[in-house]
Amino acid sequence: MSEAATRTKVPVTPLELVREPLVANQRSFGWISDRVSAVTEGRTPKWWWAAFVPSLCLLGLLGAMLYYQIATGVGVWGNQHPTMWGWDIVNFVWWIGIGHAGTLISAILYLLRQKWRTAVNRAAEAMTIFAVMCAGIYPAIHVGRVWFDWWLFPIPTYQGLWPQFRSPLMWDVFAVSTYFTVSVLFWYVGLIPDLAMLRDRAKTKIKQFLFGLFSFGWTGSNRHWSNYEKAYLILAGLSTPLVLSVHSIVSLDFAVSQLPGWHTTIFPPYFVAGAVFSGFGMVLTLLIPLRSMCHLEDIITKRHIDVMCKVTLATGCIVSYAYIMEFIIAWYSGSAMERFHFMNRALGPMWWGWVMMMSCNMLVPQLFWFKKIRQNLVVVWILSIFVNIGMWFERFVIVVVGLYRDFLPSSWDYYKPTWVDVCTYLGTFGLFFTLFLLFMRFLPMIAVSEIKGVTPQADPHHPEAGANGGHH
Amino acid sequence: MKNPPAPDRQLQSGRVYWRGLEQLSETPEFKEFLEREFPANSDDFSDPVSRRHFVKIMSASLALAGIGLGATGCRRPEDKLMPFGKAPENYIHGTAQYFATAMPTRSGAIPLVAKSYEGRPIKLEGNPLFPGGNGGTDRFAQASILNLYDPDRAMRFAKGAGGERAVATASEATDFLDGQARKFSANQGQGLAILVEQTHSPSRERLRQEITKKLPQAKWYTYDAVDTGIYQRAASQAFGKSVRPIFHYDAADTILSLDCDFLGNEDEAFSSIRKFTSRRKITSPKDKLNRLYSVESLFTVTGMNADHRLRVPASTVLSVTAAIAAELGITVGNLAATANSPVDSKWISECAKDLKASAGKALVVVGVGQPLVAHLLAAAINEKLGAIGKTLALVEAPAVISVGLSELAQSLNRGEVETLAILGGNPVHNAPADLNWAATQRKAKTVVRLGYYEDETGEQADWHFPETHYLESWSDARANDGTLVPIQPLIAPLFGGVTDLEFLSRLAGLTELNPNRIVRTTFASLTGDASEAAWNKFLHDGFAPGSALKTVSASVVSSVVSAAVQRANSVTVGKDNLEVVLYRDAKVDDGRFANNGWLQELPDPVTKITWDNAVLVSRKTARELGVQNNEVVEVSIGDRKVVGPIWTQPGMADFSLGMAIGYGRRKAGRVGVGAGFDAYPLLSTQTGYIATSAKVRRLGHKYPISCTQTHWSMEGRAIVREANLDQFRTHPDFAQRMNAPEAPDESPMYPNPLDDPKRRSKLHQWGMAIDLNTCVGCGACVLACQAENNIPIVGKDLVARGREMQWMRIDRYFSASSKEHTWGQWFNDETYKRDQDQQFNEWIDNVQAVNQPMLCQHCEAAPCENVCPVNATVHDGEGLNVMVYNRCVGTRYCSNNCPYKVRRYNYLDYNKRPLSELKGPFYATALLHSTDDEWDLKRWWRDPESGMRSEQEWDLIRMLKNPDVTVRMRGVMEKCTFCVQRIEAAKIAQKIKAGESGDVVVPDGVIKTACEQACPAGAIVFGNTLDPKSRVSQLKEQQRNYTVLDFLKTKPRITYLAKVRNPNPAMPDYTAPFTFEEFELKNGNPFTHGDSETSSHSGAKINEGAL
Repeated sequence: MSEAATRTKVPVTPLELVREPLVANQRSFGWISDRVSAVTEGRTPKWWWAAFVPSLCLLGLLGAMLYYQIATGVGVWGNQHPTMWGWDIVNFVWWIGIGHAGTLISAILYLLRQKWRTAVNRAAEAMTIFAVMCAGIYPAIHVGRVWFDWWLFPIPTYQGLWPQFRSPLMWDVFAVSTYFTVSVLFWYVGLIPDLAMLRDRAKTKIKQFLFGLFSFGWTGSNRHWSNYEKAYLILAGLSTPLVLSVHSIVSLDFAVSQLPGWHTTIFPPYFVAGAVFSGFGMVLTLLIPLRSMCHLEDIITKRHIDVMCKVTLATGCIVSYAYIMEFIIAWYSGSAMERFHFMNRALGPMWWGWVMMMSCNMLVPQLFWFKKIRQNLVVVWILSIFVNIGMWFERFVIVVVGLYRDFLPSSWDYYKPTWVDVCTYLGTFGLFFTLFLLFMRFLPMIAVSEIKGVTPQADPHHPEAGANGGHH
Repeated sequence: MKNPPAPDRQLQSGRVYWRGLEQLSETPEFKEFLEREFPANSDDFSDPVSRRHFVKIMSASLALAGIGLGATGCRRPEDKLMPFGKAPENYIHGTAQYFATAMPTRSGAIPLVAKSYEGRPIKLEGNPLFPGGNGGTDRFAQASILNLYDPDRAMRFAKGAGGERAVATASEATDFLDGQARKFSANQGQGLAILVEQTHSPSRERLRQEITKKLPQAKWYTYDAVDTGIYQRAASQAFGKSVRPIFHYDAADTILSLDCDFLGNEDEAFSSIRKFTSRRKITSPKDKLNRLYSVESLFTVTGMNADHRLRVPASTVLSVTAAIAAELGITVGNLAATANSPVDSKWISECAKDLKASAGKALVVVGVGQPLVAHLLAAAINEKLGAIGKTLALVEAPAVISVGLSELAQSLNRGEVETLAILGGNPVHNAPADLNWAATQRKAKTVVRLGYYEDETGEQADWHFPETHYLESWSDARANDGTLVPIQPLIAPLFGGVTDLEFLSRLAGLTELNPNRIVRTTFASLTGDASEAAWNKFLHDGFAPGSALKTVSASVVSSVVSAAVQRANSVTVGKDNLEVVLYRDAKVDDGRFANNGWLQELPDPVTKITWDNAVLVSRKTARELGVQNNEVVEVSIGDRKVVGPIWTQPGMADFSLGMAIGYGRRKAGRVGVGAGFDAYPLLSTQTGYIATSAKVRRLGHKYPISCTQTHWSMEGRAIVREANLDQFRTHPDFAQRMNAPEAPDESPMYPNPLDDPKRRSKLHQWGMAIDLNTCVGCGACVLACQAENNIPIVGKDLVARGREMQWMRIDRYFSASSKEHTWGQWFNDETYKRDQDQQFNEWIDNVQAVNQPMLCQHCEAAPCENVCPVNATVHDGEGLNVMVYNRCVGTRYCSNNCPYKVRRYNYLDYNKRPLSELKGPFYATALLHSTDDEWDLKRWWRDPESGMRSEQEWDLIRMLKNPDVTVRMRGVMEKCTFCVQRIEAAKIAQKIKAGESGDVVVPDGVIKTACEQACPAGAIVFGNTLDPKSRVSQLKEQQRNYTVLDFLKTKPRITYLAKVRNPNPAMPDYTAPFTFEEFELKNGNPFTHGDSETSSHSGAKINEGAL
C-alpha cells in the first residue's frame, strides 16, 4: 500500500530518474476495477474454452494413469534397478521448483517493498499453489504402497512406530505441506478485498452469496484495512523463510545421501536459486500470453516483464555458477567417484541431458543481458520455455544420471521412461492448467486493491492525486 | 494346513468308500452320468489339479511324512495311509523334517538331504555325510525342486498321437502295458525297442538284465544329447578294459583343461569345484596353490578361473593336445601332422614343461564335446605324466549300452520295431538333425513314452505316461565314484505318475512291480545284507559306505591311440570356414530344465544372459561378419540352419560360434516356450558338437536379449582385488594397500547403532567372509537363496528392465591388460561410452574374468537405514540389517543410497501375476482382466488377496514356499536377510538345549546360510564374529581380508578375501592380474605408496617384472 507521506517538502526528482509508472496510460482506479473484473464477469472467451477442454482431457489422462499405476504397481513406470527414482522424482522437484516464484514474489518482494510485484503476485501465487499440488502427487503415489502414505506423518500407529526423523523424506513431508498451507493462506488473505469488490459488483444472487461468503464480510473499513495489513505482513514474514526452506529440504533428499553427484553441500542454495529461476520462467510463460488475452497490457507492463527477465538472468547466473562449481569441487576433492560422476555426466551415455541443462539454463538466459530482447515479448516467451525445459533437465541430470552409474559398475544400467511416465507427466499439466484456467476465469487474477495503491494517482503528492480520489 | 486331514475311513473300517469326488469320478458310470447331466462342466469334476485334489494329496503326504524312514512306501499311498488321529512318532507339526535322497545325473547322482514341511519337500541340500561331500550342490539340484511343483508337468495318461489325443485312465494305461507284456512274453521281445537315457541306477541295470533274460530279442538303446558316456568309452578303448575315469582335481598341482569346462558345464561339476578349490584355499603366503591351464574356444567358468588361458577354436584343441603330447615325448601315430597348431609354441612348450615338472601331480582333462581321439591322446598324456592312479583313478565300470540313436533309427527304418518305449529323453527335440527323428520315430507301430512333460516327443507318442519326479519315486543310483545312494520319495506322486522301474517291470511283464521292493532287492543283492537295519541305515545316511567301485590299474594301449591319431585330421577355421560349438547350457541343460523359471532367470555364469541363448562370437568375428549384438543371424552348415541373435563374448576364440543347446523349445510349458533359439538342427551324428564350414547370414532384424550385467569393466576400482602369488608373497597385505589412500572423513557418514554398547548383543555378532579365491562363479548360491527365501521370478521383459529379484548376484567383471587400455584419453575412453559400445572395443579380445558374489553387506553404519522415512529398515543387536516388510511403504530411497545396490524392489505383484502378465508395455489391470473366467475386480472384491493367477498355479506355488519366510507383496523392498529364519531357529534350538546351563551361544557351524550351504567350494562362510575361534573370525583375520568400498566407511559385516592367481612366470603370457593392472593405471601402484616402508620398493620391482 502507499507509503506514509511526509509533510516536508519533497525535492523534485530529476527527469532521468523518474521511473515509468507501474500502471501505464494513467489508468484510473475505476478502469482497473473494470478491467480486471471483466475477465471474471464477461462472457467466457473462445480461447478459454480452447485451452480448458484439452486441459480437462489431460486431467482425465492423469486420473487414468493414477488408477493404472496404483492398481498395478510402480512397475508401470520406467524406474528400475539401479535407477529407483526416475521421472517421478524429476517431476516432483520440477513442479516444486516452479512453485517457488509465487511466494517469492508475494512475500520476499513485499518485504523488500518491490512495488512491481503487485501486478503479478496473485497469478504467481495461484501458479505456486497449483504447481505444489502437481508436485505433491508424485511423492504420494511414487511409493509402492500408497495406502500406507500416512505412515510418513507422525501419527502413532498400531505398530508403535514413529516415522524416522533422520530421513530427508520425512522432512519433505513437513516442508512441502507447511509451504502449501502457508501459501494457500497467504494467497487467500490477499484475495479478501478483491473478493469483496467482486461481491459488490456481482449481479446475480449466487455470486453475491458466494463472494460474500468468501470475503468474510469485508467492508473496507479502516479497522479492516489495518488488520488486513498486519495479517498480510505476518504471513509475508512466515512465508519468506519457507521459500528458502522448501527447496533446501528437497535438495537434502539428495545431499544427505552418499551418492557421487548427490552428496553435495552446495545443493541447498543452488536448489533455491534454481527454483526461483524456474518459477520466474513459468510466470513469464503464463503471463505473457495472458496479459494480451485478457487485455491487461496496462497493468502487466513491459517494465514488469523486464524486471522478471532480470531476476531470471540473476538466478540463471547463480545456477550456472553452481554447475561449474560442482565440476571444480569434484576435481578438487580428489574423490575418484566424484570425478567419474562428473565426467560421466558430461560425456557419458546420458550426455544429452547435461547438454540440454547447460544450454537452456546457462547459455539461454544470457540473452537477457540485452534490453532489446527483454522488450521483445515473443522472444522472452520462447526463452522462458527454454528455462522450463532446462530446469526439467537439471533435475533429470541430478536424479537419473546420479543413479544409473554409481559405485559398482556391475549394476550400471541405462534408464528409459515408459509411456506411463510420459502420460502421467502430461496429466499433471492437465491438472495445473485446469486449475489455473478456472482460477483466472472466476477469481481476480490481479490484486486490484494493491495495484491501485501503486498507481501514480494513489500517491497523495502526485499532481493528479485526488482527481479520482482515495480508494474505490 | 492348519487342520489335520480327515481319518482315512478305508483303513479304519476295511470297507470301501470313495474318498472324494475324484475317486468316484474315475468310474466310467459316473463319468457318463456327469457328461449327461452337466455337459459344460464335466471337466471341472475330473480336473486333476483342482484345489480339492490338492487337499487330498496334501493330506496323504502329510500322513506319510510322519511314518518315518523305514516304512515310507510312498508309491502305494493307499497301502500306507494312517489316520492322523494317531500322531505319528517323531512328527512335530510345523517342524521341518529331513530325508536323505539323491538326484540322478548322467554320470552318477548328487546325494541330497531334502527338507520337508508337512509332507511338502521345499528345499534340497547336499548330503554332508556323503564321503568327501561338504553339503554343496549345483544349480540343477537347487532348482529341481521347482520342477516338482511345475503346473505344466505331465499330469495324465494320454493316448493317441497328434490331434486324436485323449485322456486315459490309469487302469486303461496299465492294461495297455500289460497287453504289451503278454505280447512280448510270447515272442521273446521281438520288435520291442527300449530307448533310455544314461543313468547309473543299479536297480535299473538289474531290471535290464532280467528283461534281457526274459525277452532276449528286445533291444536297448541309449541316447542323451550330452554324451558324457564318451569318458567311459574313451577310457575303455585306451586302457583296453571297461573302466571309467575319475578325476582327482584335489590331488593335482597342475591341471591342463583341453576344452573341458569341469568347473562349469561338465557333469559332476559341483564335486570338481569342491576338489579343485580345495587347492585354492590359502591362509598364509607360504601356502601352495594349484595351477590351471585352460585351452578353450568359449569363455567358460573353467576359463574364468584359469591361471593361463589360451583361446583357440574348439576344432584346434586336438592340435594343441597333440602338440602337448609331442612336447612330452609321446610317440603315437602321426602326431606331428596333428600337432600342426597355429598357437604360440612357447605357450605349449612351457605348459608341457610345467606339467612334466609336476609329474605324478599333474592332470590333463578333455571336454565332453571333443572327439574321441582327443580323449585317447589325453589318456596317453596322463599316463606319461604318471597321473594314473594318482590324479586320475580308473574304476571298474559295467559296460554301457553303446547302441545309440543312429542304430535305433536304422532299425526303425528297416521296420523292425513294433513297439518303441521311450523312457525320459526328448529325442524329437534333441536328436541329431540328420536322423530326422520326428519322422523316423513314427515308423514304429506303437510309441510309448514315459515322460515328465508331454513335450515334443510326448505329443508324438501313441501312449504317454506321466513320470514321477525323483522326489516322488523310489530308485537308487551310484554316485560318480560308484557309491550306492538311495532315491527315496518325499511325497506321494502329485499327479499319479509312474516311476521308470515300475514302467519297465510292467512293460516286460515282471512279477515285482513295486519300485520300493525292486530297490530293496537290488540293495540286498549289492550289499549282501537284507536286514531291515541295513536298509534303514542306508536310507538314513543316504549312501552305502564302502560301496564305491574298485579302482584298477591299467596302461594305455598305444596302438589304439596311434590308430585314432592316424585317422585324425586338423582343420583351420577362418572367416569363410566358421566353426560352430554346441554346448550344454549352464541353465536348461539339454533342454530338460527349459520350463524351470528359476534356471531360466539365473544369469548365465559367463554371459549373464537370462531367458535366452545366443550366437556367441568374439569381437573380431563380429567385425569380420559385420554384425553386432542382438542382430539376428542365420547360421548354416550345408542345408541345416538355425537362427539366433549375435552376442559378442569377450575372450571368445575368433571364428568360433558358440551356441547353447536346449533352447527354442516348441512344447515345453508356459515358461520354456519362447525362450531362446533351437540349436539342435546343427547337431549331426557325423560332426558332433563341434562342426566347421559354417556360414552366417544376416537376417536384418534385432532380437532383445536380457542381460543382467551390462557393463563389463570394473573401471580400475578396487572392488575385486587380486594379485599374483609372487606379489602376495612379497606383499601379503596387498588387499589393504588397495584401500582408498585417504579417507574423506574420519567417522562414517551415518550413525552406527552398534556404537551403543547397550544395543550390541554380547552373544552373537553375525558376519560373513567370502573367499574370492575359491568362488568360481557357478551360481548355485543364487538359486539356493531363491529357493530358501521364496524369491519370485519376473520374466524376461522385466529382467531387461533391471528388475530381477535374486537377493544375491554374482558380479562378473572382465579385465584387460593395461596395454589394451587408453585411460588417458578421455574422449576415447570406453568408460564414458554406452555400455553397448563395449562390444567394439579391442580390449575385450583377451580378457580375464573375476567373480564376486554380491549380496546385502549388512553395513553397521548403513546408508539405507538412515534415509528410510518410516523406519522399515533397521539394525538389530546382532549386526543384521533387518528389513521390515510390514512397515515398508516403498519409497526406494534405501536402494538409491545403497552403494552396493543389493536391494530388490517388488515393482509389480510378482507372486500374484503369472509370467504371461509381466510382459509388454501394458500390464493387465483388474478392470480389464479376468482369471479363471471371472472378472478380476469381482475376484478382488470377493478376496483382496486373489491375484491374477489361476487356482491351479496358486496351489502348486503355495506348496513350494518356505513357511518360515514371508512372501512379499508389491511395493515392498527386500534383500538378503542372512537367512534370519535359520539364525532364529538355531538360537531357539540352542536355548532349549542350554536349559539350566545358560550356554545360549550358538556353536560355530550350526547356522549355515542357504548360499553358504549350497556352495560346493565352501567359499562363503557365515558365523559369529564375537567368537575368535569361529571359521568366519579366522578368515577375517587373514591379510587378504578386505571391505568393498572401504572408503565409504559403511563397516559391512561381509568382507571378501582377495583373489590370488598363480600364473607360471616362464609362460609368455605371464602378467600381473589384469584387474591389478587396471587398478594401477587409475590409482598408482599400491605397493609404492603403502604405509610399510620396507616393502614399498620391492613392490614396484615385482610389478615391473610382472609387466
